[in-house]
Amino acid sequence: MKIAVCRPQVPFARGGAEIFTDRLVDELRARGHDADLVSVPFKWYPGTRVLTQAFLWRMLDLEEADGQRIDLVVATKFPSYVVRHPEKRVWLVHQFRQAYELDGTELGQFGDSPDDRAIRRKVQALDRVALGEASRLFAISQNVANRVEASTGLTAEVLPHPPQALEYRCENYGDFVLSVNRLDRAKRIDLLIEAAASDGSLEIVIAGDGPDRERLERLARERGLNGRARFTGRIGESELADLYARCLAVYYAPVDEDYGMVPLEAFLSEKPVLTTTDAGGPLEVVSDGSTGLVVTPDVAEIARALGWLREHRDEAATYGRAGKAIATEVTWDRAIGRLLA
Amino acid sequence: MNVAYFSPMPPEQSGIADYSALLLPALRERIDVTVVRRGKKTAPRGTDLALYHVGNNPDAHAWIVDALRKRPGVVVLHDFVLHHLVAGMTVGRRDGHGYLDLMEREHGVVGRLLAHGVLDKRIPPLWESRPADFPLPTFVLEHATALIVHSRYVRDHARAAGFAGPIAVVPHPAWHAPDVAPARVGSGTIVGCFGVVNASKRIPELLRATAVVRREHPDLTLLLVGSTSPGFDLERRLQRLGLDDAGLVREGWVDESRLWALMAGSDVLVNLRHPTMGETSGSVVRGLSLGKPVVVSDVGWFSELPGDVALKVPPDDDEVATLTAALELLAGRADVREVMGARAAELAERDHDVEHVADLYVAALETVAGGAAVDDAVLNDVSAAAADVGISAETAEAREIARRLAEVELG
Repeated sequence: MKIAVCRPQVPFARGGAEIFTDRLVDELRARGHDADLVSVPFKWYPGTRVLTQAFLWRMLDLEEADGQRIDLVVATKFPSYVVRHPEKRVWLVHQFRQAYELDGTELGQFGDSPDDRAIRRKVQALDRVALGEASRLFAISQNVANRVEASTGLTAEVLPHPPQALEYRCENYGDFVLSVNRLDRAKRIDLLIEAAASDGSLEIVIAGDGPDRERLERLARERGLNGRARFTGRIGESELADLYARCLAVYYAPVDEDYGMVPLEAFLSEKPVLTTTDAGGPLEVVSDGSTGLVVTPDVAEIARALGWLREHRDEAATYGRAGKAIATEVTWDRAIGRLLA
Repeated sequence: MNVAYFSPMPPEQSGIADYSALLLPALRERIDVTVVRRGKKTAPRGTDLALYHVGNNPDAHAWIVDALRKRPGVVVLHDFVLHHLVAGMTVGRRDGHGYLDLMEREHGVVGRLLAHGVLDKRIPPLWESRPADFPLPTFVLEHATALIVHSRYVRDHARAAGFAGPIAVVPHPAWHAPDVAPARVGSGTIVGCFGVVNASKRIPELLRATAVVRREHPDLTLLLVGSTSPGFDLERRLQRLGLDDAGLVREGWVDESRLWALMAGSDVLVNLRHPTMGETSGSVVRGLSLGKPVVVSDVGWFSELPGDVALKVPPDDDEVATLTAALELLAGRADVREVMGARAAELAERDHDVEHVADLYVAALETVAGGAAVDDAVLNDVSAAAADVGISAETAEAREIARRLAEVELG
């Protein structure tokens, strides 16, 4: 089958959606499909730019390429699913969250002016039309499916996908807690830094880069964490697999995350995950006292939980192995089988 | 966003005043609302949008329509048939020519001639005798930038009347049933009918059907609650139908707490009407909150109630027979009443929840308030980009762009 995988591209940025879609194309090709990635730059500000940039997708003609019919398109995140195609399958990573649950929060984009309010409603109307056209609608997690249903009334089938391919392994349960994330405020890495500040024996390694890095590094300095907090910046696959293999546990506490690949990556490395009660998608795989610990988003609670894992390494290992049993069930064979059925 | 809110308000005795009293607190949790004092015909300064509640009663709504005609805005159209309102705002203000013109505009020369007949007292007032045949909605629709309606019925009729702007269908909000002791007015099944007592509420048909049902269920009570319309003599109707008042309990206008108590004490609620003005029934919505099975006419909004909540009686030649069958079923089958009542309560909680309704209101208002400016901005951006690459207006390419914008509701 000739399949176009559609994703918006924020130039110079790379995150989970990019990893996912690159891998999806590879996996489709590995199964004999003629798959390719279709990408259009996306800028969502100022004013109505979010709508006009989304509309670019509507002007694409993906029914044919060079005289050959494209059998199917797989659209992933906003606004790629605005594309037209008679066999449009949406595997939804997320909608434009600023128009939904992030509205009115510090992570929101739209103000109180009538124009801003109307733009937000136009995004919602666009979603209802574009997602409603899909011949099949999948969501990467129950959390994303719930949001779609609440916002559009559409029912999405939950279809998780495996994390990136790394040389996952477990070497030991070392002395440091690992955070793997793009560094922005929604990931709440500051809670981890504050927890380390309150527990003098806690070591943390923060992998990833992003707009919040400078603030987080300054916070770590101000809290006197020199030597106990290491910022790695963006790292390669081998180094990441190595950190997973040697850490005690993985900290992952974003606000209402869509799904989050990090818990599955931690599980494949047999590591428990510490998350928070409001983390959203991660709660679909991280169970308190089973595959990790779930606490309120509170510095003292986080510090206490990480301290407990350090003092109970056997339990940490048990949780990590239980997580691995879950993560190994999420395979590309199953996902692609359902996607193309 | 700050909304200027034009509506009858308590203590006015109006269903729409009650409606606004219920809705406003939930709306105010979401947006700024300035309620406009009755009689004031301009929106307060600083408001982004005006919202006008319009119903068919000129006493309650004429001042609101006066304000609407000065400043267009979003209209909550509670009734589709507005003939009585139009008559009040024309004939009632000694503006016979205005009435003639409006009738001619919507119904041609025949309309004008009929209006003459009304003004000359040659024929009965059309707003009383045939309002549904001459609904006269354009008087209001032509000044509305968007509509909020309570039923698909009104939406479809507004479209058919030529309204091209946005229309949001927003359910009537439901009151939370207060904690009152049910007032039982009989020992057997109690069939409650609440609202103004008149012929269009099909009271004669209800009396006839009840008389038949009482042969099988002699302990059945028919409870009629509400003031009687002028010109409708209940006793005379009974005499004319050859019925006595056995099993009939009559209460006039009652206050809110008595209303809830009597409704709670009823086993079945009947709310019939024909013709419909396109209205929603606050009584039926109250009944849903209480989890009561209802019997309604199969018209307008009432037709849109789910079949497992309401038994629907078409207003045709078999109306009395169908109504009789419905009442016999509900009088004889407590299990059916129970299931329908449970479904009614679920419906009230799901679709008529006031928080949900307020969310839908805000969505509709936010879409409209800045919608035109946003549409313009998108169109300007797209057309400028098209012009940059040599695509000019009225070309096939421009039409294709316009078509695709329309597909996704942009521009």
